[in-house]
Amino acid sequence: MNRRQFLQSSSALSLPILLNGIPLSVLIQPQAFRSIEDDNDKVLVLIQLQGGNDGLNTLIPLDQYDNLANVRSNIIIPESKILPLSETLGFHPSMSALKNLYSEGKIGLLQSVGYPNQNRSHFRSTDIWNTGSAADEFLTTGWVGRYFDTKHSNYPDGYPNNDYPDPFALSIGYLVSETCQGYATNYSLAMTDPAQLGTLPEGALGSTPNNPYGEELTFLRQAIQQTNAYSETIINAANNATNLSSKYEDNNNLAQQLKVVAQLVAGGLQTKVYVVSLGGFDTHANQIQGETTEGDHANLLARLSTAVEAFQDDLKLLGLEDRVLGVTISEFGRKIRSNFSNGTDHGTAAPLMLFGSCVNPTIIGDNPTIDTAVGEEEGVPMQYDFRSVYGSILIDWFGVEESQIRGLLYDDFQHLPILSCRVTDTTNPHELDINLTAYPNPFDNHINIKFSLSQSEQIRLSIYNTLGHEVKMLSNRTLPSGTHDISIETHNFPSGHYYYRIQAGNRQKTGKIIKL
Amino acid sequence: MTRRETLATLMGKKKTTSSKQERQASNITLSSYTGSWSNEQAAHLLRRTMYGATKEQIEEATQNGMMNTINQLLSSKNRPNPPINYNEPLDIYAPIGQTWVEKPLIGEGNKVRASRTRSLYAWTIKNMMEEGMSIIEKMTLFWHNHFPIEINVVNDPRFIYKYSSLIREYALGNFKALVKKMTLNVAMLRYLNGNQNTKQSPNENYARELLELFTIGKGALAGSGDYTTFTETDVAAMAKILTGWIDRGYNTYDPSRNIEAIFVPNRHETGNKQLSHRFNNVVISNADEQEYSNLIDVIFEQEEVSKFICRKLYRWFVYYEVSPEEEAHIITPLAQILRDNNYEIKPVLEALFNSEHFYHNDNIGCLIKNPLDFFMDIFKKFNIQLPDSLITKYQIWFSIFGITPVLQMSYFNPPNVAGWKAFYQEPLFNRIWINSSTLKFRLDIISYMVYVGIDEGGDQNILIDVLDFVSRLQSPEDPNELIKEIAQIIFIKPVTNEQVTYLKNFIIPGLPDFEWTVEYSDYLSHPDDMQIRVSVENKLKSLINTMLSMPEFQLS
Repeated sequence: MNRRQFLQSSSALSLPILLNGIPLSVLIQPQAFRSIEDDNDKVLVLIQLQGGNDGLNTLIPLDQYDNLANVRSNIIIPESKILPLSETLGFHPSMSALKNLYSEGKIGLLQSVGYPNQNRSHFRSTDIWNTGSAADEFLTTGWVGRYFDTKHSNYPDGYPNNDYPDPFALSIGYLVSETCQGYATNYSLAMTDPAQLGTLPEGALGSTPNNPYGEELTFLRQAIQQTNAYSETIINAANNATNLSSKYEDNNNLAQQLKVVAQLVAGGLQTKVYVVSLGGFDTHANQIQGETTEGDHANLLARLSTAVEAFQDDLKLLGLEDRVLGVTISEFGRKIRSNFSNGTDHGTAAPLMLFGSCVNPTIIGDNPTIDTAVGEEEGVPMQYDFRSVYGSILIDWFGVEESQIRGLLYDDFQHLPILSCRVTDTTNPHELDINLTAYPNPFDNHINIKFSLSQSEQIRLSIYNTLGHEVKMLSNRTLPSGTHDISIETHNFPSGHYYYRIQAGNRQKTGKIIKL
Repeated sequence: MTRRETLATLMGKKKTTSSKQERQASNITLSSYTGSWSNEQAAHLLRRTMYGATKEQIEEATQNGMMNTINQLLSSKNRPNPPINYNEPLDIYAPIGQTWVEKPLIGEGNKVRASRTRSLYAWTIKNMMEEGMSIIEKMTLFWHNHFPIEINVVNDPRFIYKYSSLIREYALGNFKALVKKMTLNVAMLRYLNGNQNTKQSPNENYARELLELFTIGKGALAGSGDYTTFTETDVAAMAKILTGWIDRGYNTYDPSRNIEAIFVPNRHETGNKQLSHRFNNVVISNADEQEYSNLIDVIFEQEEVSKFICRKLYRWFVYYEVSPEEEAHIITPLAQILRDNNYEIKPVLEALFNSEHFYHNDNIGCLIKNPLDFFMDIFKKFNIQLPDSLITKYQIWFSIFGITPVLQMSYFNPPNVAGWKAFYQEPLFNRIWINSSTLKFRLDIISYMVYVGIDEGGDQNILIDVLDFVSRLQSPEDPNELIKEIAQIIFIKPVTNEQVTYLKNFIIPGLPDFEWTVEYSDYLSHPDDMQIRVSVENKLKSLINTMLSMPEFQLS
């Protein structure tokens, strides 16, 4: 039974996949498994943009502008209003604060982040992003939770303790975050306002029968005990520090969430992961209202932009900039074509934003190619897998060994140069220079993909359809150096657009091909 | 030991699988329950089917027996009177005391609309408060969670009322008929953009949710855009089948304008629509305003529809995890009953509440109360009385409604089209209701209802009358019996001796038992002596507040 079959067969509660490849002896002795990352003071802030952000109206490819205007004429931002970041890319006009941060080198962008076989259900795709699974894998642990599990295999038994007095993760809001779901319990505490925390009566312990009633009772008792145990450290941290930025807007809920995060980090709380959220990105209708620069999407991006600006300003004033990294995540991008309701429907990949003084302050990846003949269902094809983003953060931010990442996330992990502070490889590894050509293009009954390798390398080459589904995997093995010309039989392919994606180590390239 | 168990043991984890899954399959049967029928079973049935059953209702159900109680719970009921204007003089079409549900907006529309929304909110509380021995309100909420709409998207109280009336009318009705009605419900047409679905530009939103959330569910990915139960092609084709419908009368000021769904032929795609092999490659040809109905007939030919809804009912009424044995021995036969009865819901519920499985010890007390269950339990189990005036009652009901958002579950405000997470999100399910914030809120609300109460502007706040509550117990003068009796009303399992000892600290700290008997008897002999009365009352408040704050109270 391989790992995937194993996970699929255990549907209710899967084992964390980190077990794969890690010697059991290590797991039996959790102390031995402690690594240098215990001293790490880095903090990760995840911003969930709930609903699926329209990437094409967020980070706009200027070199595709005319075609984009053609296929989304009712919502296209006037070219003159776009805030240019480079010659070929610009931000939505609501994002001036983020543009300034980009100029200051505190924003990094990664184009077209998604995963193979995109699922367009909000719920399923959010689960995929939260668990860090493949599209056809059902995991019940979150990617952050699995990371904590590698270090705290007994949690929550015996926590908090002298070594770990603080909660591992905090979700600012009313719900714990599924990203932090561990094997036994969720590592995140949900909290809105430190001032609201208090001590809950524990009552007298009665017996807990060994049945579902007893399990729920135990869960409740643990929730009370843990809240009490952690609330004191949270309250102390909040009392220790005051926010210094005056830029947080009162009516901006995301800004208020980030304000709490900054206060707690400044107050000395050793929590490693904070989860905040901004809802409303499911813009099927009224994405724009009146002018295309106005409407629901413009308001959301403005809120995101000013909230991050205030947070970053606060961190700078508090002297914490080097310790905090922020990342936006969203379950999918939206379709390339807009709909009749001045909105956009569920799509595929979208850009992902990182912020903080440690990001690699550049835009990684190619602009999506927009074609006026784009199909109704078509989304932006994936260039980078979101699990490679997670894995790169674990390595470069939390100091996890690269050898563990494949077990924690996935086999095709690609180490991406998204951070400048700790990244080891600072060359431009996303450039894949292998003289890649696909011919004939357009194609009919066959297509050839040709490339040259200067050294022997592991090559993954696949063809995707416009829904993001992997229709053919051509290679997933080590190829010798030299020229390779792979011919693919395609007479079964329905006519239309396809993408190929080739990945060699940390580098990849995506291209469009058309079946006649 | 399987590999999974071995690894889990090595990792020192407690919960490998739920203990329920490890249990023998012997109890997993729909055969009729033949065990004893006592307070325990009656209370379990009422907890799962009603809000806050009182001591008296549980006693009645114990007396009447299982079959009679099930029949009573599942019998049809007069529809509640529609919501009334209770405080907005500007709503001149619906003067105070009268209903607004058939009346257009007037004058300062936003104020009138806001007042009607408040009235609608209050009315949902009223319906739960006044449900009597009936499952209708819990099933209404079930359907609201199944076919969610959000008031911030459909911001017209008359539309929401039509929606609410529909799910209440079909609470125990025919599922297939309900899906048909829901497809053309004005609120749903707006919520999922059905009203923007045209042949020129099909909008897939409703078609997708119709399959994924409302009828057949989404299976595993089996191929490009193929989710085992349906495909992306089906979503696109079904969107076209459903083109042409619009809603009329949204926030209308026009007295002659009806609120209705209308079919507009020139917005309808008349070409043939080809479904995928998941629906046997059926071609749906043009049938104009009947076409949606033909489509739903086709969807309902798939057995998976009956299983999908039965699984959801099971999670709602029994337990959140469905094991493979339960799938085979409970869900599959329930689904068969549903199909044999042409998708009538009532026979399914009858079979479930009649079954050995429903009353098995594993299924008693294993759910965490949702926020409405939690709050209604406090209100109803303690017989909190409201003033006679209907207008005042509406004010109080609205105040109560105001508590529900902080507990994360308020009517017409689900988080999204999948409903509340606690009913579907693995692996936590109903544990999602509980965390540091919400637990604190729950306990704050308990203290509020014990000590402060809802201010309705009258002489006294609306709160738990601990003296009145205790006076209706059998042996309130015996501190041990007092605690055990309260526990029997508000908890699922009896309190342990250890817990009784702990709880006695709140009424007789460091004193022998007889001192309570002396004090309480003294109060009974001199009920108007404020000194004695207040001191006994304070002790009881402290006891009841503590007991309600125990985690045992959070279980259902």
